[in-house]
Amino acid sequence: MPFRIIGDTNIDFIGKRTPAYIFSALLVALGLLAVAMMTFGKANLGIQFTGGTMVEGYFEQAVDVGELREALARGGFEDAEIVQISGREQPYTFLIRVKAVKGETQKAQSVENLIKQYFPNNTFNRDSVHEVGAAVGKDLKKDTFIAVALSLLGILVYIAIRFDFRFGLSATIATFHDVLAVLGIFYLLNVEINVLLISAILTLAGYSLTDKVTVYDRIRENLKKFHRKSDFVVAINRSINEVLSRTIMTGTTVLACLIILVLVGGPVLRDFALALLLGIIIGTYSSVFVASTMYVDWEARSPKRFRAS
Amino acid sequence: MQRQGWKIGLIVFLLVGSLWYLYPTIDLYLMSPAAREEMAKNDPQGWIKLQQQAMKLGLDLRGGMRLVLQVDKTNLNPDEASDAVDRAREILRNRVDEFGVAEPLIAVQGGDRIVVELPGISDPDRARELIGRTALLEFKLLESQEMSTLLVDRIDRTLEAAAGLDTTSAATDTTATPSERGALESLFGSDTAKSDTSSQVADAATETPASDTGNVLPPQIPKESPLSSLLDPAGGYGWMVVRDEVPLVKMILARPDVQKLVPPDVEFAWGTRTEFVGGLEVERLYLGKKQVELEGKYLTDAKPSFDQFRKPIVSFQLTREGGRKFARLTGANINKPLAIVLDGRVESSPEIQSRIQDRGQITMGGTATYEDANDLSIVLRAGALPAPVNVIENNIIGPSLGHDSISRGINASLLGLAAVFLIMAFYYKLSGMIANVGLMLNGVFLLGVMAVLHATLTMPGIAGFILSLGMSVDANVLIFERIREEMRAGKSVRNAIDAGYDRAMSAIIDSHVTTLITALALFIFGTGPIKGFAVTLFWGVAISLFTAVVVTRVVFDFRKSYKTLSI
Repeated sequence: MPFRIIGDTNIDFIGKRTPAYIFSALLVALGLLAVAMMTFGKANLGIQFTGGTMVEGYFEQAVDVGELREALARGGFEDAEIVQISGREQPYTFLIRVKAVKGETQKAQSVENLIKQYFPNNTFNRDSVHEVGAAVGKDLKKDTFIAVALSLLGILVYIAIRFDFRFGLSATIATFHDVLAVLGIFYLLNVEINVLLISAILTLAGYSLTDKVTVYDRIRENLKKFHRKSDFVVAINRSINEVLSRTIMTGTTVLACLIILVLVGGPVLRDFALALLLGIIIGTYSSVFVASTMYVDWEARSPKRFRAS
Repeated sequence: MQRQGWKIGLIVFLLVGSLWYLYPTIDLYLMSPAAREEMAKNDPQGWIKLQQQAMKLGLDLRGGMRLVLQVDKTNLNPDEASDAVDRAREILRNRVDEFGVAEPLIAVQGGDRIVVELPGISDPDRARELIGRTALLEFKLLESQEMSTLLVDRIDRTLEAAAGLDTTSAATDTTATPSERGALESLFGSDTAKSDTSSQVADAATETPASDTGNVLPPQIPKESPLSSLLDPAGGYGWMVVRDEVPLVKMILARPDVQKLVPPDVEFAWGTRTEFVGGLEVERLYLGKKQVELEGKYLTDAKPSFDQFRKPIVSFQLTREGGRKFARLTGANINKPLAIVLDGRVESSPEIQSRIQDRGQITMGGTATYEDANDLSIVLRAGALPAPVNVIENNIIGPSLGHDSISRGINASLLGLAAVFLIMAFYYKLSGMIANVGLMLNGVFLLGVMAVLHATLTMPGIAGFILSLGMSVDANVLIFERIREEMRAGKSVRNAIDAGYDRAMSAIIDSHVTTLITALALFIFGTGPIKGFAVTLFWGVAISLFTAVVVTRVVFDFRKSYKTLSI
């Protein structure tokens, strides 16, 4: 006999949808708040999107953040953001961010000069510099938005053709739900939203969609076996239960891999893996409690499949 | 079994092909630093070839510099504008090649932008300087000393008159006498409080520009001889201005009432570099003729060198036509100063000693080093850009950062992969191990495709890689769960395998195709890093589909004849 984590289950997923809807609504609201904040420039958007200058480097001796802030303010960078980065080989690693000003791209040099001038006895070793013009940031924001919107549209059309329109729309909405939820959580955690994080979010959208398609595939298969209207919810519940072992197995495998990446992957991979980790948990949840339940409720409001009976 | 032949053949073919293309990469990355150095020394050609053939790491992983330049076409006519970007790219390529960077990337992006990527560069600030300048070389004549002094006097009088009208602050600010403003006297005085220029740089930067209330002068500008008190006659031609006071002078020169006084055929021009005179940082200001006597396009060669005072110079050679023009110019203006203007700034102003034909030299101004002379030679040889470029994005990634993230990232990924392998083998036994082999093949095929495509491996690219491996795991789990289900329903091994594969296939295909659609949309409409993600994702998913449908299936088809299945 094969080793199994779970046997045949018969959980009434669809019946538990009211609390799930409330939870999802909260997640989506949080995500929308994050998007609104991003649009108004209040969120922690990476400079690739906002434009501006970022200098990262380390001091050889301890440095007071207040003094650093004051030095930069005296040089005209009153709005400089200063973050001390932990977990690096060098203990006094700092990230300095300055807003973009039209036509100005030599700011990193000024920042470095200011530091050199105010901390003459404490060498600042620059690790990386990123200067982005405001127009470039705007373009990237626009391009990314268009790319994501079009890929979601493409998915909607494909699923509408392969399954039906309701599946397509439910899957797209559920995927959107996952993306918003992760954005919202990252907004709360004040993680910088940069291009790498966007690719993580696109990755999780892909995973989440795979999950939904798998559940839908089983629903499609099972609906062929049921013909009475009263059996509709039963068919969907059974489909979810049947793919549960696969859901848990895939989830466990991928999560194990991601937890390792979060723990030992280093600073660059950490945020990335964390986004995927959250995304997979939320995506699995939403396959059942958003994508499937939405389909059920839609059918209940305006029956299509079982209109005849 | 006959039908399996082509599948096995295809798998072997792909595996051999992938390894063939990956061999240089494996070879390169397994080499110890010492072995690399040795090869670079003993077999430089082979070393370069190996580096070219090996898969490249993106700047985010290996460190380097990325510049995005926008070509400013505003002053070009439509004819010039049409190929300005392509010409600029060619010139930039020449400059970068001469600068000596391994594997640079110079590409046009979206109409009027040029991306320059310089991996592993050690002096990014110098590279930026070299790439970003237009390098428009012009020879002009300077206005005579008498005319210059006359003009400054007239400006002084106009400004004094303007300040006199200002009753509110006139004569109140007596502390700001010319001597204390530190132009003439303190410039050559021994050591004054002014020597601490560092703190004043910051002050100058925060100074507010002239208030727009008509003629009022800002309080920092002396009331008496406003302009000439800020200017100090330089040894040669032009004036020197203490660096902190440069903004004040610029402010004065930008005033409409001052501009009206400047004759239409002359203009003020600043020097290229600051220099130290008497412990003070000064900039040079010149009054030059607007007329361009000779342009850099007549140059055939430029080389860095030293003059008899061991000062760096650039010696140049002109075309025959250029030589004729230069001879005429220099012959008619002996003992007069010549302004060598680079991108609108005066590099130096030597006095013409004798008639010069087709060979000349550019004395480097200020605190120029031999390296500056070398860089100037490079840009002069490569030619001027057809239009100015603006650096709109500049990204310098330190090699240590890249190295750190690579080693940690690779270790973590291997550990993560090991976890996946263990779980699969533990849960699905032999079938899980078969899936693991499939997963490894998947990885090798994908890397092989990346090598064939000459793709660069970037962080978002690795993200796409991970997603596709995850989908491959998922496909196997789907199939195995389905086979288990069919076996529980009492089917034989043969039927369970067939049914498992057939029924899982629709979900596998649908999930892979939707991801392919996503990847395609991101590839077509995304830019930069998003595109890198899309490429690996696309091929990863396509290969995952192939391994799920073909590779593991081959093995399972052999297992159909078994009585029991380890799953």
